[in-house]
Amino acid sequence: MDSTVSYGLLAEDEKHALFIKRIEAGEKIEADDWMPEEYRKTLIKLISMHGISEIMGALPEKEWVPKAPSLKRKLGIMAKVQDEMGHGQLLLRVSEDLMKPYGKNRESIMQDLFSGDLKFHNVFHMEAPTWADAGLIGWLVDGAAIITQTNMLDASYGPYARALKRICAEEVFHAQHGESIIMALAEGTPKQRVMLQESLNRWWEALLMFFGPGDAGTTGTSKQDITIKYKIRTKTNEELRQDFFTKYIPRVLSLGLILPDSTMHFDKEAGKWIYKQPDWGKFKDIIKNKGPKSEERLRLRRISYETNEWVREALGSASAGERR
Amino acid sequence: MTKIISPDEAKQNSSFKSALTELLYQLADDDFILAYRGSEWLGLAPHIEEDVAFSSINQDTMGHAAIFYQLLEELGEGDMDVLAHSRPPKERLNAVLLEMVNGTGTYLENPKFDWAYTVVRHYFYTAAKKIKMDSLKNSTYQPLADAAARVSIELFYHMMHWRTWFQQLMLAGGEARTRMEKAIFQVMDEMEGVITLGPKGQEIIKFALIEHDKTLKDRWQAVLSPVFTSVNSIMPESMGMKSGNGRNGEHTADLESALAIMNEVYILDPAANW
Amino acid sequence: MAKGFYEEYEVFSRRSDTAPMLYQFSLLAPNEELALIMAQENFMRREPASDIWVVKRSNIRKMTLEEKETLKRLDNKDYRNTKGYGYLKKKWRQYEQGMLDEKEIMSWGGNQS
Repeated sequence: MDSTVSYGLLAEDEKHALFIKRIEAGEKIEADDWMPEEYRKTLIKLISMHGISEIMGALPEKEWVPKAPSLKRKLGIMAKVQDEMGHGQLLLRVSEDLMKPYGKNRESIMQDLFSGDLKFHNVFHMEAPTWADAGLIGWLVDGAAIITQTNMLDASYGPYARALKRICAEEVFHAQHGESIIMALAEGTPKQRVMLQESLNRWWEALLMFFGPGDAGTTGTSKQDITIKYKIRTKTNEELRQDFFTKYIPRVLSLGLILPDSTMHFDKEAGKWIYKQPDWGKFKDIIKNKGPKSEERLRLRRISYETNEWVREALGSASAGERR
Repeated sequence: MTKIISPDEAKQNSSFKSALTELLYQLADDDFILAYRGSEWLGLAPHIEEDVAFSSINQDTMGHAAIFYQLLEELGEGDMDVLAHSRPPKERLNAVLLEMVNGTGTYLENPKFDWAYTVVRHYFYTAAKKIKMDSLKNSTYQPLADAAARVSIELFYHMMHWRTWFQQLMLAGGEARTRMEKAIFQVMDEMEGVITLGPKGQEIIKFALIEHDKTLKDRWQAVLSPVFTSVNSIMPESMGMKSGNGRNGEHTADLESALAIMNEVYILDPAANW
Repeated sequence: MAKGFYEEYEVFSRRSDTAPMLYQFSLLAPNEELALIMAQENFMRREPASDIWVVKRSNIRKMTLEEKETLKRLDNKDYRNTKGYGYLKKKWRQYEQGMLDEKEIMSWGGNQS
């Protein structure tokens, strides 16, 4: 082709330089564009983990769908968990397109999840034993997710940025759904208030862990430098965690809840929140599927996947569906 | 019979009101329990995209239940959440077919749910519901006629969705066909319970709240029969109420366990604001 | 392993009868009938749709990165739009006539909705 940039004729390092120039200029990279292997692999890891976390994240909340205490709450939480599945769909589609050159697809993602190769987010390995947890997940876990996801709205990878735009718009509903449950409990009977405080205590450490370790020194690995280098995100884990505190701690306190960390305070001089570090050793174990609910939730997903295999087999064969 | 246009007017005629509330409980309880069964599938459907689509149908159906409970509330039957959550099994008028479990295990443990049964049950029920709504558009109780017109708007999608799954799985042959045929017989064994208007049926028909259940049944068969033909099959001729008539308050243990789960939070403190 | 189940479909929809078809997102389905019944609830749960198209991705001819270079143009084409004829407004004023601009002309259809 007669063109100024014929990728086919460029050497690898020239392609790389051009790629960097594109993302520096704020251009979006698309699925079929040339991209460095490291970029592709980083995206696959990040987005498939994000996607499968949405799917696994539906499970703790779905426990509460049939149990929601009123028709309105039943409808609200159904719509919310449906969105989580929907977000999983969007994100898995984005990562499936990225992994296509490696011959991988939705099936491989599921197999990787079952084998433990594909991790899911630490918060979704935790227990959600009361109705207050259903509210707290919507309020604070989704709140934390909004902080990390809005940070990537301008990601250099176009399909991811577009999926996040859809997701963040829906997260606003999720946050309000969670706030509404929390507000009813906070303004409710003493029993309801105890339920709420216990839920906050239970989720506190997982919420701190949500943003990942502050630096690679804490857990040995961290992808944050690479994702910043490639303009997938802008802020570090710790910056995001601090943003979360700034947005949510005043709200937690305003409802009369007690912070589970008595040492926590805002250091005006340093301009940051001082808090007790969670047990990062525990974090490493949790994401290796050694959390309190890891096995049970993986089992649930595996059973549903295997039980319904006949449906995919039946319609996946050439003879089924539309006969052309 | 002239139209009754408001709840207050309905309350002045006790035999009319009694037939009307009977029918409304059937409609509300049917949708409520099936939406509940559907919601148990959330996160467990055969395909992620289908999981999302199915959930919308369950939300719609739960929304329809709320519309019918609301009509009952207006007739002085009590708060709609109390009606949905607090009535014991013997007061529930839903068809037994709709309360039956999705398969073995529960939605929390070992959920070996049967997609073929779900497709057939939802498809057959939706077809019956659509026929009822069309008949109810001429109901002598105007608020119900209005509600039916609103509800039926969403049933076009439900019908298309379940018909597509039904036809494709039937035509897929092999294991899918075998599973579907088994499910068809399971559902037909209870299908009569969906269509019947129950012990107060004569009153319901007399007040022209809805047409005769025999008429509804004929229409249902007329809708389904060509679909069976399209997938090289024949619709079973008979339908039954093998596990009891839900319109009489007869129910299975499946309903009891479902109610226990759906009330778990509510009964912690029914007076509290949740 | 159910490979044919995961075919890629692109979903398009329009918000109203007069709106253009807009690209929404892609989904996996074994065939276009199932793709169609899943499309609205996956991507348009909170927005209206008056029509939906699903297209098998392999039927779409996309541009390569090089081909996208062909989309660039110089900014010297005022003659293609009204911007190049702005002086007419002043001219018509000399003849005591108003300018038939886009706003005026588009209003001639009357109250068609």
